[in-house]
Amino acid sequence: MISPSAALPRAARTTSEEGDGVIGAKDRPANLTGASDQDLVEWAKQGHEPAFRELVRRYERPVFSLLYRMVRDRALAEDLAQETFVKVLNGLASYRAEFKFSSWIFKIANNAAIDHLRKRDLDTLSIDGSPHATTPDEIAATALQLDGRGEDPLQEVEARELGSAIERAIGRLRPEYRACILLRHVEGHSYEEIARILDLPLGTVKTYIHRARNELRVHLQDRRE
Amino acid sequence: MTDPLQHLTPDEVEQWATGLLGATRAIHLAQCADCLAAAERERKFFRELAQLARLAPSADFADKVMAKVRIPTPSGGLEKR
Ligand SMILES: [Zn+2]
Repeated sequence: MISPSAALPRAARTTSEEGDGVIGAKDRPANLTGASDQDLVEWAKQGHEPAFRELVRRYERPVFSLLYRMVRDRALAEDLAQETFVKVLNGLASYRAEFKFSSWIFKIANNAAIDHLRKRDLDTLSIDGSPHATTPDEIAATALQLDGRGEDPLQEVEARELGSAIERAIGRLRPEYRACILLRHVEGHSYEEIARILDLPLGTVKTYIHRARNELRVHLQDRRE
Repeated sequence: MTDPLQHLTPDEVEQWATGLLGATRAIHLAQCADCLAAAERERKFFRELAQLARLAPSADFADKVMAKVRIPTPSGGLEKR
């Protein structure tokens, strides 16, 4: 039995004692905000609804922000974020603890965004000429497509939220570069974590980030001139 | 070891901008105005990116998610029992 003074069961204990469900109600703190992701996952797997809610509370903004900046469409980003959380929370049984929970959820979110953008690229192939913009002109054309929808109130919100020079510059990056920059500089993930999230070799991640920064500098320079 | 007169590599500039560059290489910045200017520019750029807002989904987001989540039942539905 765990002593009542042990506020947060550690992951190591979790493994040895989950068989008889000791972790359950007794040692779970009333306030979950200080719990580790690993503990929340364990409690959620045991059917503790507040643990699910705490995971949503903790990651809804980071995941939504990444998706929103990836697809630059608020309603779509919200759909993709919902899809991401439902997939993750209904798939906790297959979650491997050696993978950071944050890396796992960002991986699923990023896949959702990239899948969507690829499908959209295929849809606009005849206009764009290429699903993978490589030259600055192609990238600019892609970015214009992303922003080129009809006027509506939601679009005003989007213009306010993603309209700054730096947001627009990020929007002009190709999706793979955009994901790398956001994960590195907005979310603060290490290069190694980004490589795991994006399923890319470490060297590729470094190259993408390096190129993405150079492109951002060029885009920002354009605006200041 | 690295010559203190050698300019910082892009990796070293990033390490400095994120507070991770070792003191021996950081000495170079005191001697080289070019590298110092580049490093400070980089640090400003990184800060600008790091300060981008965390944007929020709509207020009922969590409820919409939870409506689609299957919560295991402690009384028997668990895979571990
Ligand atoms: Zn120098």
